[in-house]
Amino acid sequence: MTTTEPRPSIRTELLESRPVNLDGFVEEWPEKGLVAMESDFDPAPSIRVEDGRVVELDGKARADFDFMDTFIANHAIDVASAEASMAIPSAQIARMLIDPGVSRGEVLAVTRGLTPAKVLDVVKLMNVVEIMQGMQKMRARRTPANQGHSTSARDNPIQVAADAAEGALRGFAELETTLGVLRYAPLVAIALQVGAQVGRGGVLTQCALEEATELELGMRGITAYAETISIYGTESVFVDGDDTPWSKAFLASAYASRGIKMRFTSGTGSEVQMGNAEGKSMLYLEIRCILMAKGAGVQGLQNGSISCIGVPGAVPGGIRAVAAENLVASMVDLECASGNDQSFSHSSMRRTARLMPQLLPGTDFVCSGYSAVPNADNMFAGSNFDTEDYDDWNTIQRDLQVDGGLRHVREPEILQARNTAARALQALFAHLDLPAITDEEVEAATYADSSNDYPLRDVLADLKGAQSVMERGITGLDLVRGLETTGFHDVAQSLLNVLRQRVSGDLLQTSAVLTADFTPLSAINDVNDYAGPGTGYRLAGERWEELKKLRHVTSATNPETEVG
Amino acid sequence: MQRGACHSVATLRGPTESEPALSASPPPELTTADYPLSINRPELLRTPSGKPITALTMDAVVSGELSAEDLRIAPETLQLQAQLADASGRPQLAANFRRAAEMTAIPDAEVLAMYNALRPRASTAAQLAELAERLERAYSAPVCAALVREAAEVYARRDLLARPTADVG
Repeated sequence: MTTTEPRPSIRTELLESRPVNLDGFVEEWPEKGLVAMESDFDPAPSIRVEDGRVVELDGKARADFDFMDTFIANHAIDVASAEASMAIPSAQIARMLIDPGVSRGEVLAVTRGLTPAKVLDVVKLMNVVEIMQGMQKMRARRTPANQGHSTSARDNPIQVAADAAEGALRGFAELETTLGVLRYAPLVAIALQVGAQVGRGGVLTQCALEEATELELGMRGITAYAETISIYGTESVFVDGDDTPWSKAFLASAYASRGIKMRFTSGTGSEVQMGNAEGKSMLYLEIRCILMAKGAGVQGLQNGSISCIGVPGAVPGGIRAVAAENLVASMVDLECASGNDQSFSHSSMRRTARLMPQLLPGTDFVCSGYSAVPNADNMFAGSNFDTEDYDDWNTIQRDLQVDGGLRHVREPEILQARNTAARALQALFAHLDLPAITDEEVEAATYADSSNDYPLRDVLADLKGAQSVMERGITGLDLVRGLETTGFHDVAQSLLNVLRQRVSGDLLQTSAVLTADFTPLSAINDVNDYAGPGTGYRLAGERWEELKKLRHVTSATNPETEVG
Repeated sequence: MQRGACHSVATLRGPTESEPALSASPPPELTTADYPLSINRPELLRTPSGKPITALTMDAVVSGELSAEDLRIAPETLQLQAQLADASGRPQLAANFRRAAEMTAIPDAEVLAMYNALRPRASTAAQLAELAERLERAYSAPVCAALVREAAEVYARRDLLARPTADVG
C-alpha cells in the first residue's frame, strides 16, 4: 500500500468512458407511472356484459368509466365473446400465443374479447423470447417490411429526393418526411414522392405534420399515407393533445373517405412524459391506446414507444415492455409499424439489442422509421439506425438469415437513382414554375452524404414557391403531368399507379403495401400462416440470394476477387 | 346494426344515366379472394364521377381529361372494401369504411371543420346535436351522426363540452 487516497481502478475508468454510461437510467416509481409493465396500481381484469353492453370493465362500473374505458367498451371489445374469452386463464392465452399448433385466427377469436387489464395479464407472463415467438405468428402481413425517414436539416428538397430514391432502391416500402421549417412542407413532400418513385415504383410516402395540414397534403395526392395521428392512454393526456377517441375516430374515417392509408401512433412512456400517467404502468396505458385504435377501425398503429423511447429505456424491463406493446398491436390484428425510430442509446450494442425483438420475428415495418439520411439531417430528432448503419444492417440480415426489408445495392445503381431523382425534381420544379434547381445541385445530390454537401438554397424563394403550391391548388395529378411532359415517363407512370390505388381503396386494408409491380399486398392476400418450423415467411429463393450480397464478399473460386 | 347504413349510402349519389346496368344490380357479394380489387375485380371500380378505373390512363392525364376529382374513392368502393374487411374478420375496420363512405360526400374543408368541432371543449351540446343533424340531413350520414351523438353524450359526462358563455376568471 503506497497510498490511502481512494481512486477509481483503471478498469472502472475504462468502463466509465463507455458510451452506455452516457445513457440515462432511473429507478422505478410506480405511483407516478414510471414503471414498465409490472405495477400494483394497475387494475385487475374483469368484465360484465348486460343486454349486449359492457357494464363493468377492469373493476370499474360504467358510471365511473373515463372516455378511454367508454370508447374501448363501446367499440373495441366483442361483447358476444368477451365473457368466454375473459374466463380463459391468462397462462393459457399466453401459451396459445406461442404454440405453433394454434393458428393466428384461433388466437384472434380470443383476443377480440379481452379487456386492457387482461391483455396486460397475458403478456406479463411472457419473457422476451416468448414475445418474439408470439410476434412471428401474430404479425398481420406474412412478408415483413421496413420504413425509412428522408428529411434534411436544411429542408433541402433535392436532398430529400435523392435520399428517398436511394432508400427506396435499398428496400424501404414506405418513406416518411417531416420539416424543420413547416412552410417548406409542400416542396419537401413533392420531393419525397418523386424520389421514392424513382428509386422503386410503388413505395408509399408521407409527410408528418399537424393533423389538418397532413390531411390536406394527402387529399391533394401529394402524399400517399399518414401516420402522425397520436393517441394517448389517459383521458387527461389525450385532452392535452387536443383530441378525444371520437375526434380521432372521425379523422380515421376522413382519411379513408379520400382513399388514403392511415395508421395511428402511440407508445409506452408518452403519458408519464406528458405528466399524467394516473399512476398506471406504461404498458397498461399503451394497451388502452392499442384497443382504442382497434375500436376506431383504423387499420394499424405505429407503436414501440416511438419518440418517448428514453422513458421505457431508462427503467428495468423497459425494452421488454416495448417488445410486448408491438406484440399486443399484432395480436389484436392491427398493422404494426414497430418503432426502432427515435435515437435511443449512445451504445451500439444497446441499439442493436433493442432491435432484435422486432427484427428476428419480423414485423409489418421493423423500423418506423430507419433514418435514410445521416442522423444529423434527421428532423424526427434522429433514429436508432441511420445511413452509416446500412452495411451493418445488411450484414446482420445475412448472418442471421432474417429479412429486415433492406438489401445491398451496387454503387452505380445508387448513383443513377440519386441523379435521376434530382433531375426529375429539377424538371418538375421548372415545369411548375417553382424555384430553379441548378445542375450543380443535381451533381451534388448524386454524390452527397449530408445536407452539408449541397449548395445552399434561396430559402425565401423556396418558401414562396411552397406557398404557391398550396395557393395554386397543385395536386398529385399535376406532378404526374409535369413528369410525363418533361420526359420522365417511368416516374410519371409509377406515381399515377400509386394515385390510382386511392380509387380502388386496396391500400386501406390492414398492413397494405404496394409491390414493385403495383400489386397491393396486405393481411388479406398475404395472410401470416406461420404454423411452426418450415412454415410462414421464410427467407429463401431469390430474396435470400439478394440478401447474400454485401459490399465485400470474397469469391469462393478466386480468393483474389470479390463478388456481389 | 351498422349494415343498415349500407343501403342509404349506396343511394347517396343516385343512379346516373351513364351506368344504368351497374346501378340496377345489387352490390356484388365479395369474398377475400376478390382482393385486391384493383387486380381481381377492376370492373367494379369507378371514380366518383363515374369513370371506370381503367380510364385513369397517362393519355387521359396529359390531355387534361382527368381532374383531381377522378382520383378520389367512390362511396360504393368503400362499401366493397367494408365487405372485404367483414369477410376477413375485421368488423371495426368495416365500420370505419362505412363512415368513410358517408364522408365522401362532404367537402374537404367541411370534413376538417367537423373534425375540429369534435375536439375537446370545442363545441357545446347544442352544436354537436346540430352537427349530427347536419350529417344526417345534408349528407345522409347516419353512421357518422351516431358517432357524433355518442361523443356528445360522453363529453357531457366528462366535462368536455364548450361552455356556452366565455367564463373569465
